[in-house]
Amino acid sequence: MGRTDVLIVGGGLVGCATAFHLARAGLSVLVAEAGDVNAVASGQNAGSLHFQMERRFLEQGDAVMAQAARVIRLNRRAIDEWRGLEALLGTPLGVAMNGGLMVAETPEQVDLLDRKARLEEAAGMATRLIDGGQARDRAPYLGPQVAAALWAPDEGHADPKKVTPAFAAAAVHEGARIVSHSPVRGLRKVAGGFEAQCGALHVRADRVVIAAGAWIATIGAMLNLHLPVFPLGLTMNVTERCAPFIPHLVQHVGRRLSMKQAGAGNVLIGGGWPSRLAQRADGTGFDLSRPPAPIAGSIAGNLAAATDIVPRVAGLNLVRTWTGTVAVSSDQLPVVGEVPRMRGVYVAGGGSAFTLGPTFARLLADTIVEGRDAGDLADFSPARYEHLNSFMG
Amino acid sequence: MRITDQVARGAALTIFVDGEPIGGFAGETVAAVMTAAGRRRFRIDAHGCARGLYCNMGTCCECMVRLDDGRGIAVRACLLPAEEGLRIATGQPLS
Ligand SMILES: Cc1cc2nc3c(=O)[nH]c(=O)nc-3n(C[C@H](O)[C@H](O)[C@H](O)COP(=O)(O)OP(=O)(O)OC[C@H]3O[C@@H](n4cnc5c(N)ncnc54)[C@H](O)[C@@H]3O)c2cc1C
Ligand code: FES
Repeated sequence: MGRTDVLIVGGGLVGCATAFHLARAGLSVLVAEAGDVNAVASGQNAGSLHFQMERRFLEQGDAVMAQAARVIRLNRRAIDEWRGLEALLGTPLGVAMNGGLMVAETPEQVDLLDRKARLEEAAGMATRLIDGGQARDRAPYLGPQVAAALWAPDEGHADPKKVTPAFAAAAVHEGARIVSHSPVRGLRKVAGGFEAQCGALHVRADRVVIAAGAWIATIGAMLNLHLPVFPLGLTMNVTERCAPFIPHLVQHVGRRLSMKQAGAGNVLIGGGWPSRLAQRADGTGFDLSRPPAPIAGSIAGNLAAATDIVPRVAGLNLVRTWTGTVAVSSDQLPVVGEVPRMRGVYVAGGGSAFTLGPTFARLLADTIVEGRDAGDLADFSPARYEHLNSFMG
Repeated sequence: MRITDQVARGAALTIFVDGEPIGGFAGETVAAVMTAAGRRRFRIDAHGCARGLYCNMGTCCECMVRLDDGRGIAVRACLLPAEEGLRIATGQPLS
């Protein structure tokens, strides 16, 4: 039986980045990945670095919007994290932080942007409301329908195909061990620690970090814990390459849209359009081992929003559409920290964990290594689910 | 090279690839006409290297060429039917 200080379940961005920080601090770390490192959400996402409050937080009324403003504190830390990431990992990650615009078309949307800007200002995030003309001065590719935009100077994008592999390589360099094709099964609490089967390895760990993305609830169940993180199917589209013309991240406050131009010249178009989760053949629920199925209406709707806001993309070929599964908690906020009901079990994930994953990982590793109180993570602790877990564990 | 034995073809036609006339037949794709004429460069990649026909079914986009009609729209040569007088350009830089 192998032993390790920390067993990390999942080799996505969050797992690999946490492994890097823990190994660097001198802990022995084993990352067990069911498939291949970076093969699902962390490698399939849109690569947006969005630091202003996301549209999904604005859909459910003012109370949710106010609660979501808490995430801004993490977003501010994430700005610094991304500015330093290529230097930290010593390799190019396609990081471009030339600013982002969240656009509005209707008077109601402009009003929503205005309210959002005030919440953000109160939370210390520098966003600025500009009118349509000012937006087009800054971003001449925007169409005439854009009536206003919220400008966030640090937003941008990075390359999801590079970031997680870079963290994985750096983690291994620091002494972490990463085993792929090694699904964790039968994870259980034993006296003074945990035991699990990770593929062919039987492992004993002092602590466990659940960084399993859409499978967080499944891993929680192995420990008889409720971790209310739900899988949602999403859709992405990408056009052929063209000469650089969109240096920014573009989002929409009232329609599902995110756009950016990757380093190679392709325009990535996403923004939260659904795909349909696969079902198990025996009708017992979702089958997360298969990719979600594309929905024609999502692709059409996404491209319509894109061509309305950036008319030039109408002349480009769509070269590929793909789907992926994102994990979102019951209150939409990230879930990061130790589970009070079962000390030694940590969770990290939920929501926009491309933007925030490197920051989760650093802060979580600090709490594990230094036993520090959660600080900026306090608002995201799984402690908020103790009403469920007081019957569990 | 074309199979000739027991094949009925459409009418002969000429397309222009980078200005050069190439003969083909109605019912063939631009990719088929180019390939039969030994023209294997379709697009160039980010490093300036030539790329060519790969999937031949519209999936990979390696066969992107541009309509040489003033608009310069990119099209997949493997999906585009050849038409008399059609003009296309290969290996174009990004526009
Ligand atoms: C289409 C799409 C677009 C997105 N766009 C953005 C964006 O623009 N910006 C942004 O910030 N976020 C975006 N996201 C969200 C972001 O991709 C995810 O939040 C992030 O990648 C999550 O990383 P993770 O490491 O938590 O999870 P994952 O990358 O899902 O990694 C979890 C890993 O756990 C493994 N695992 C599961 N079960 C087991 C087991 N039993 N044993 C071992 N391993 C197991 C899985 O195989 C997987 O590799 C998007 C997501 C999708 C799907
Ligand atoms: S060869 Fe693949 S799309 Fe034409």
